Amino acid sequence: MKKLFLMACFLPLIGQIKAQQYPTLQEQQNRLTLLVKNNPKWVSIQSLAKTSGGKDIWVVTLGTGKPETKPAIAVIGGVEGTHLLGTELVIQFAEKLLKQIDKDSVQKLLSENTYYLFPNMSPDAMETYFSKLAFERLGNANNTDDDRDGKTNEDTFDDLDGNGKITMMRIESPVGIYKLHPDDPRVLIKADISKGEKGKYLLLSEGIDNDKDGQFNEDGVGGIHFNKNLTYKHKTFSAGAGEFPVSEIETRALLDFLYDAFNVYAVVSFSSLNNLSANDDKITTVVSELYNKTMGAKDAPKPTAEGGDFMSWAYQHYGRFSFSTPGWWVPKAKPDTAKKEKAFTVVDATANYLRWSAQQGLNHFTEWKTVQHPDFPNQVVQVGGVDPYVMINPPYKMVDSIASKHTMFLTKLVSLKPQVVIQKIETQKLSNGLTKITIDVSNAGMLPTHSKFADRNYFVKRLKVALQLNDKQQLIGGKKLELLNNMEPHTMQQFSWIVKGTGSVTVETGSPAIGLTTKAISLQ
Amino acid sequence: MKKIYSFSIALILSISLMAQEANQVFKAAGTPVNPKVQASWNRYYDHAGITALCKKIAAAYPDLAKLTSLGKSYAGRDLWCLTITDFKKGNELQKPGMYIDGNIHSNEIQGAEFALYTAWYLTESFGDTKFIQELLTDKVFYIVPSINPDGRDSYMHQPNTASSPRSGVKPVDNDGDGLVNEDWYDDLDGDGHITMMRRKNINGRYKLDPRDSRNMVMVGADEQGDYELLGMEGIDNDGDGRVNEDGYAFEYDPNRDWGWGWQPNYIQNGAYKYPFSIPENRAVMEFVMKHPNIAAAQSYHNAGGMILRGPGASADVTTYNSQDVAIYDAIAKKGEELMPGYKYLVVYKDLYSAYGGELDWFYAGRGIYTYSNELWTPYLMFMKESTRSPFDNSSYNFDKYLLFKDGFVDWKEYDHPQYGKVEIGGFKKNFGRAHPGFLLESDAHRNMAFSIYHSYHTPKLSISEIKEKDLGDGLTEVTAVIANERLMPTHSSQDVKNKIERPDYITLNTTAKIVAGMIMTDKDLNLSKIQKNNPSTIEVNNIPGLGTVTVKWIVEGKGKYTVNVDSKKGGIATNIK
Repeated sequence: MKKLFLMACFLPLIGQIKAQQYPTLQEQQNRLTLLVKNNPKWVSIQSLAKTSGGKDIWVVTLGTGKPETKPAIAVIGGVEGTHLLGTELVIQFAEKLLKQIDKDSVQKLLSENTYYLFPNMSPDAMETYFSKLAFERLGNANNTDDDRDGKTNEDTFDDLDGNGKITMMRIESPVGIYKLHPDDPRVLIKADISKGEKGKYLLLSEGIDNDKDGQFNEDGVGGIHFNKNLTYKHKTFSAGAGEFPVSEIETRALLDFLYDAFNVYAVVSFSSLNNLSANDDKITTVVSELYNKTMGAKDAPKPTAEGGDFMSWAYQHYGRFSFSTPGWWVPKAKPDTAKKEKAFTVVDATANYLRWSAQQGLNHFTEWKTVQHPDFPNQVVQVGGVDPYVMINPPYKMVDSIASKHTMFLTKLVSLKPQVVIQKIETQKLSNGLTKITIDVSNAGMLPTHSKFADRNYFVKRLKVALQLNDKQQLIGGKKLELLNNMEPHTMQQFSWIVKGTGSVTVETGSPAIGLTTKAISLQ
Repeated sequence: MKKIYSFSIALILSISLMAQEANQVFKAAGTPVNPKVQASWNRYYDHAGITALCKKIAAAYPDLAKLTSLGKSYAGRDLWCLTITDFKKGNELQKPGMYIDGNIHSNEIQGAEFALYTAWYLTESFGDTKFIQELLTDKVFYIVPSINPDGRDSYMHQPNTASSPRSGVKPVDNDGDGLVNEDWYDDLDGDGHITMMRRKNINGRYKLDPRDSRNMVMVGADEQGDYELLGMEGIDNDGDGRVNEDGYAFEYDPNRDWGWGWQPNYIQNGAYKYPFSIPENRAVMEFVMKHPNIAAAQSYHNAGGMILRGPGASADVTTYNSQDVAIYDAIAKKGEELMPGYKYLVVYKDLYSAYGGELDWFYAGRGIYTYSNELWTPYLMFMKESTRSPFDNSSYNFDKYLLFKDGFVDWKEYDHPQYGKVEIGGFKKNFGRAHPGFLLESDAHRNMAFSIYHSYHTPKLSISEIKEKDLGDGLTEVTAVIANERLMPTHSSQDVKNKIERPDYITLNTTAKIVAGMIMTDKDLNLSKIQKNNPSTIEVNNIPGLGTVTVKWIVEGKGKYTVNVDSKKGGIATNIK
């Protein structure tokens, strides 16, 4: 009890130190509230749900008038609870854009387009960044039985060296498969057994086998990961994925909102997945080119989606263009010749991080220190390694410029959207009171009107070309309503009708995601 | 409170008034002779009717039936669940459970009556049927007559065909034009049934069937016809050149909404937003997750006379492994015997491929042995093979000689705004898929018997043997044999493979010190697997059906002890020595 009391005394201090890094959940929320207060015409916020941990899932709508009638981009942060940068990028996008709201170009942008922002899909997990024991947590506040042994949270991390962070532990062992990195002995890499190399260490996350089942830290606090909980290739029963897809409150809240948002044509998310700087899809190359030009970054990682992820869901199941980027990654560090460094003989992310961070004047490494470990009574066990979070999130002082570039990208992205326009209207008098109308409709944008999986999806509206007549006019030839599954950019289609009557008729084209336009045509 | 009290008195009074005098009736074997709850099983009940019957059963048998609501439907109707067990004996959650639901598809109504008949029969027969008494001591039934009450009422109270609506009533823009439900069937003749439209046309390909002039048959390839068929009763309401293309009959399919192998609607027609995005299914899922004792399940559909098991899609062929299939086969083969005209089939290969079905989630997602029965088969018309096809004359004969033409709307002329002079007529919505009244009770009874057999074969655990052996030095070896007396294991293979439910716990409670615990892999040859931790409670992955598990403890010192078995799906057993 006494110990707890002492801890509590230190807590506010720790909180302060952390606050100099990334803003807390409360600060995130305060900034959103402030945005609405200062820009009521352009911003609104709404809490879609409360997570099992009691945290709000916010949606921020940027736009004016009737935002639901304008083509929209959805922007998602906190896709992974460890990715504080993503949440910052979403909030700062709103902040930076609204700072310039007096500019005509910004007012035009927000008058013609809508952005739906979801700053944080993993607030339960993200809170761990600010807690007294920091570890890279992805799971929400649900109690789950990650190792499926009938008990929940019975084997969590343990802070063996008492430094307030969960790092790694290495154990000298005859069956170890790790060895020291030849260029940086702080780093452990896998021994290449095929080349006759021998390992010396077991490498595990910091902790004790609390339930004595032979596995370490396999069922700790932390439930379902948002980025494993979606429907596309969901890994049912695997740790963090859930008993079935979309089992979580926050996942449902987001999907319910998006499925009703027929005006959304593109989804941009910030996560470890990356199809923005490295893109195999020819149809959306134009978007990647814009991103890479705006960011000017190289050497982007391209991890493979592991199932249940949000980026794949938005494309495969939601049927919208879907883009994801980590927003930042550890740059490839050049050897420091002053320190007589050479290029790495073995490429390794941790070694590269340590070299880069040293050049930045950062030190986020805990030196290996021997501890007494109850599970390895007669073996050398050392705890140490890179701090949690720092390889995923840049130092906070770098966020401002990264956010500026992403703000630029997100504002420029709307210029690529599909744009359906009536290019040409011809009317021809066939006989008395009989007019033939011919129109050319084209997609003048840079993207198709519908993504590949929008076809036959109930939740994507078709591209409509509809002729509206009054009671006294009569359709003699042609179809009153055409519903098109897709129109590629820079293509055109012709529609014609024969109408009996006088006055004018109206042609309506578009869809909620493209925008609906009407044009009056006089009969001959 | 007072209101509820007086309400129940009124209820009891009305029940006693309705019952027949005991001396006026003579028991027919196998049927409650003078039931407390008077119910006719030769007609259908809408949601209000089901609600009333559920309440009557719960009020009449408070020690056997409890009524709860799993939640609300989209339109706010209760999803009633009758929990049937002998509440005086044991804890409901520690008895193997049999879950039964009906009516997932709105028009497939009789599942609700079949389920409700089961609840009624079990409660009314408990008093004088020893088998039922034992069954309700060991097992618990969770009976949800309709998991789609909105759809049920819309089928009954709105104009419909026998096949509409299939879905619930949550609106969907099926044709993607931005409008919702803008062009649906129209009950042009105002009789509550959507039938067919035909038009006299010498270029048509149909003529009157010479065997029964109500029927239309196709003419031969070289023959001229008299009629063309114009589809179901309706008009082009929205003037888009299509008739009846966006109505409420097929918004989505509630049976493509479950959390195993789910696919979006462009792959699996009828899927909604994500698994359990239909509120009724979500309520069922939440109930099942809170009742890990459910070991067996039955869902009722129509029609065709089938006992269906998964997989729904070929992707899951290996999910249903041979050990589990053997159990499915054994129970369903008995079903074929109990329900003449019903055939045991596998969805993906004998019917069609469907992702996200209820039976696949129950089995693959929760490890529960589950069947879907397609109720009513044309076989029952004349007790011989026949079909539902309009070109098979047996439907017309059955309607004519046994229903006296009550199943058919006679053709009648109508002035159609788009088609001109047409005739409207055809089978009523309550013919073809729903049982005719006089066959309803008999088939409900047979299907119930199948579910009782199914539930009977959920695990029944007992401790069949406890042996002690003195090892010297104050040590004793205690060996216990745990038996499962029924077909089903405590964990299906799918469950064992994915660790869906926790292991079974076999515990030695004693004041003496337990120094080691182990599972005997071969009792006779003394081969064992020693448990790493906590030797008093031995964790076993499974207790096989009609099989045993042997465990052994080494105990230091003397003391009384008991052996307990605690299994989520197998129930509990205790032996005191």
